[in-house]
Amino acid sequence: MTQFVQNLIDGLGNGSTYALLAVGVSMLFGVMHLVNFAHGELLTIGAYVIYGMRSNDISWWATIPVAILSAVMLSMLIEFVAFRRVRTASAFTLLLTSFAIEILSHAAWRIGVSSTPRRFEAPDIAFKVVEIGPFNIEVWDVVSIAVAVACFIGTAIMLRTTMFGLSIRAASEDFDAARLMGVKANRVISGAFAFAGLLAGIAGAIWLVRRGQADPRMGAEPLLKAVIAAIIGGLGSLPGAVVGGLSLGIAEVYFRSWLPSDLQGLTDSFVFVVIAILFVVRPQGLFNVQSAERV
Amino acid sequence: MADATTATVPATVSRPASRSQLRSIALPSLLANWVLLAGLFAVGMLYASGGSSARDLLISDLLINLVLVLGFHIFIGNTGVLSFGHLGIASVAAYTMALLAVPTDRKTVLIPNAPWGIPEIELSPLVASLIGIGVGIVVAALLGLVAARTSGLAATMITLAFLSIVRQVAENRKDLTGGAQNLSSVPRLEGWSWPVFGAFIAVLIAVFFRSSKTGRLAVATREDELAAGAMGIEVFTPRLVAFVVSGGLVAFGGILRVQSLGSIGPSQFSFEFTILILAMLVVGGMRTVTGAIAGTVFITVGKEVTRFLGDGPDFLGFTWPVVDGLPDLFLAGSLLAVLLTRPNGLLGEFDLGGWVTQRFRRSAPAMPVPGEPAADAGFAVVAPQQATGGELVTSGLGVVFGGFTAVDDVSITVAPGRIHGLIGPNGAGKTTFVNLLTGIVEPTTGTVRLGDKELRGAPYKRARDGVARTFQNLRVFPSLSVRENVAVADLVAHDHRSHRVGVSVDELLALSGLTHMADRSAATLDYGNQRRLEIARAAALRPDFLLLDEPTSGMSSSESLEMVDHVRRVATAIGAGVLVIDHDLGFITNICEHITVLDQGAVLAEGTAEEIQRDPRVIEAYLGSGHA
Repeated sequence: MTQFVQNLIDGLGNGSTYALLAVGVSMLFGVMHLVNFAHGELLTIGAYVIYGMRSNDISWWATIPVAILSAVMLSMLIEFVAFRRVRTASAFTLLLTSFAIEILSHAAWRIGVSSTPRRFEAPDIAFKVVEIGPFNIEVWDVVSIAVAVACFIGTAIMLRTTMFGLSIRAASEDFDAARLMGVKANRVISGAFAFAGLLAGIAGAIWLVRRGQADPRMGAEPLLKAVIAAIIGGLGSLPGAVVGGLSLGIAEVYFRSWLPSDLQGLTDSFVFVVIAILFVVRPQGLFNVQSAERV
Repeated sequence: MADATTATVPATVSRPASRSQLRSIALPSLLANWVLLAGLFAVGMLYASGGSSARDLLISDLLINLVLVLGFHIFIGNTGVLSFGHLGIASVAAYTMALLAVPTDRKTVLIPNAPWGIPEIELSPLVASLIGIGVGIVVAALLGLVAARTSGLAATMITLAFLSIVRQVAENRKDLTGGAQNLSSVPRLEGWSWPVFGAFIAVLIAVFFRSSKTGRLAVATREDELAAGAMGIEVFTPRLVAFVVSGGLVAFGGILRVQSLGSIGPSQFSFEFTILILAMLVVGGMRTVTGAIAGTVFITVGKEVTRFLGDGPDFLGFTWPVVDGLPDLFLAGSLLAVLLTRPNGLLGEFDLGGWVTQRFRRSAPAMPVPGEPAADAGFAVVAPQQATGGELVTSGLGVVFGGFTAVDDVSITVAPGRIHGLIGPNGAGKTTFVNLLTGIVEPTTGTVRLGDKELRGAPYKRARDGVARTFQNLRVFPSLSVRENVAVADLVAHDHRSHRVGVSVDELLALSGLTHMADRSAATLDYGNQRRLEIARAAALRPDFLLLDEPTSGMSSSESLEMVDHVRRVATAIGAGVLVIDHDLGFITNICEHITVLDQGAVLAEGTAEEIQRDPRVIEAYLGSGHA
């Protein structure tokens, strides 16, 4: 039982990072039918910003907001330079464009900094453990979960009450109709990239405090997890992305503690097989997203 | 072929299109691309003869990459579905080959605990390679079964997952693969003969697949899945076959690569390598063999140049800085630049073979003079066909979306060979009714019958049963030529509608006044011609009934009058009944013998044109109660 709860908290801690990324991925899919594999690069830029500021002894309190801001800016820049031009292109072009940006970013960091990782020291709070009854709780797990929950609530309120949120929901439902109703396409999409960038920046901050290093390819793996999470939840569905991210985080922890050691390396493969089966039996994801083509 | 029981004598017996098409498209394209390849190879030989063995390696690398790129092209280029999984197939095939061909004395050192008695097996490289390709094809078929069944994006994600599963298994089954430590001592290829042979074979397979029946059907699904379905083309089978053929070729390429390197490891067929191959495919132009060749050369040469510069050489009089990652920057930069500015690749639809054929044809004097309306001349040569077969009957057809009843209990009967009008104000449910009839929307209630047969299931089945439609918002196959648009439907007709008398593709084009623009891509036609092309394409399916969804929408009244004549001519020529949907009362009363009026999803009135025009309920629905 103790182990079970411990694993649960651990899984929710990891899962909240996935979920924050997945919400962004899902939102971008909603407004422009793009699975953005360049989204993980927002974590990378945050890491290099932290590395740069921490090596100049700037405090963590100042570092984290700047890292988050850099993610927002990069997200908007990517939209402005690349995705705006291919907005009406096929899913094929969109997807490949996002991969091209990802590789471009990897190459840019290799050339601009180095292909070897750059380390920075984690703050004390990152690995602090407190004992509550029979449980050893990592403080940072609790912080991660709390921050993520706050973000989800904030996102939900934003979508329901603000004009921008309404535009995003309308655009996800039917972009052309939304435009006819006066929603400005460029502004909504740019805003969605900014908001997704904000969530990615926060996810990055949570993750990087513990990770303690920056390297060119670091964004790829968490992003892949986030895409999987968004797919589990049904691309385009934001609550689905949250559930997908959290359940993926939990599933990983349990796979790791239950699978025999010689199968440990295959954790991801098991997840992929489950996803593939899901795709075949329930192609629209766990949460149904209507997107009937008009004839 | 013409059915003996048909009453009239067909004007011309339409030829089986596939064979003659094969010869006229495939051969020039094959020869032209082979000549291009031979020319490139000659340049490569010149380059290699003046330098080190690294240059030899570059040439053989380029040729092997070309095999892989053409393998990708066969699936991705022809179906338009992005796959990341093909190098996973290559990896499985290459491992199979390596495990069978590595000498036993090496295997007892490298992988002594391998299962299935693998350490004792030692086959000749050729036999091992053939087995490897066979295994690759089986894996491709299994993966293809999943990938071809799902829609575009899901297929992409599944293939991506497959690639990473293969890699993880290769890393973790250390007893079998040696894990991250490479499996070395794979028998190596001597010289260039195999890569050269491979590249020529790959061009051959790609060219013939593109002009094969399966290839052309796959291309139609790429152009427009929905319209392909309406033309009786099933998506699954052509995509599966394309996947298997391309998987087999990629397996061959993977085996060549491993034999050229002499070793294999889990990271060899990585995601990064997949992106490299995809970049080669996309940069040149994924839809043609010439594009694939051009992209392969461009990226390979570009990467080599940037690698040279990034190593910090003394070049052009000064020492260049060492830049790690310059080739990757070039790769991503050129891929991104092409995607943003020319998404169809540098060459787009250009194929050397097609270009040569067109040049050749243009010089021939047999072409009709452009601009001369050929419609009447075409009409003269097509003898009218007599209508055969049963009535098209809907009984109690209805559908409810959420709580909204879009179509409610509609029963109509269209007699064979007759022109029946379905009319109603905007939002009356006309298009939904057509979608119910053709199977795009599943009905909540009711059935559709054609003669004795109940029409049910997916749109492609109903099209094969004899109902061909056009779309309100124009769905021609945009990048295919006008002729190919019609010829694809004719191809389906040969397989599934051969009991009906057909009108040949050329005659249909003449009848539609499209002969002089037959070689242009359909997207370049103006609105009216695209409409006529859509009708010609539907007619080529030899349907019992043509369903025309607002054929005059967006047309002036004089164009509409021409359309009346045109629809009558086409229907008479193929002996089909017509159900024409429109909201233009004038057009419908002009063309139809029998009219059904739909309002708010239900039948409001039915009868001849005169009866309908006098019916007070119709006048009220159209003009408002004040006029009743």
